[in-house]
Amino acid sequence: MSLVARHLEANGLPTVIMGCARDIVEHCGVPRFLFSDFPLGNSAGRPFDVESQRLTLELALRVLESAPAARTTVQSPLRWREDASWKLDFSNLDRLTPEEIAEKRREFDAVKEVIKTKPGRS
Amino acid sequence: MTFVADHDVPIPYMQRTRDYYLKLGYDNPYRWAYFTDAPFTPMARPLAETRLALITTAAPYQPGVGDQGPGARYNAAAKFYTVYSDSTDSVPDLRISHVGYDRKHTTAEDPNTWFPLARLHEAVKAGRLGALTPRFHGSPTNRSHRVTTETDAPELLRRCREDAADAVLLVPS
Repeated sequence: MSLVARHLEANGLPTVIMGCARDIVEHCGVPRFLFSDFPLGNSAGRPFDVESQRLTLELALRVLESAPAARTTVQSPLRWREDASWKLDFSNLDRLTPEEIAEKRREFDAVKEVIKTKPGRS
Repeated sequence: MTFVADHDVPIPYMQRTRDYYLKLGYDNPYRWAYFTDAPFTPMARPLAETRLALITTAAPYQPGVGDQGPGARYNAAAKFYTVYSDSTDSVPDLRISHVGYDRKHTTAEDPNTWFPLARLHEAVKAGRLGALTPRFHGSPTNRSHRVTTETDAPELLRRCREDAADAVLLVPS
């Protein structure tokens, strides 16, 4: 998505990304970025919380209209929950049993097989 | 003065993912796109006169390729490989089972958390935003920088121009 934003912007279209993976988007380098410190899958706000979705969109629109230069990141003030322990779980093998790790490996190999069947894709 | 816990920072996804696959036994780590510069185009007109395009990584529901519902396991068969477009006046049936969202801490039950079309319509109605383009667009997530840069991004640009977009909101799921 960051590569797409860069391409659009380089060709004259102002862009803003709403996202939850701060390091990945900033590593690529994009013009404007509204970051929500939420689990991946909630770039546009909390589930069944229209107010949080409105605020998230409003912040993104403000970033779009007022960013002074490229690589502008604004972080939403919203928190997923007060207890931040959810952040320790994502792709963290220290938190899985050997059986769960073996299952993850089987799952990943299966995904690779599915993707291999699509021509010209990696 | 009390500071928050050390782990209460944005998740370092790149490091976490590298460590994860290394520990699973795959030693050819993914290389994320990296640039030191970034392009910038100033807004041409106020937001209230701006026609906005929406780009999503969500996938249209595809019957017959397995569970794509809330909480479904990662479903690579549900991926899509070419740019698609659909009407912004519709309520499209979009799913995110084909990407690595946080399956432990969110459920993907409310599409408005990754596809803000309903909120965008409200912003237009309120006069905050000029208009939406007649179509939104779907951007494939295939982990090939070459395909994204050489095929998908130019096609998305073409469609945004065709719809006379003034600016673009991109929402990865």
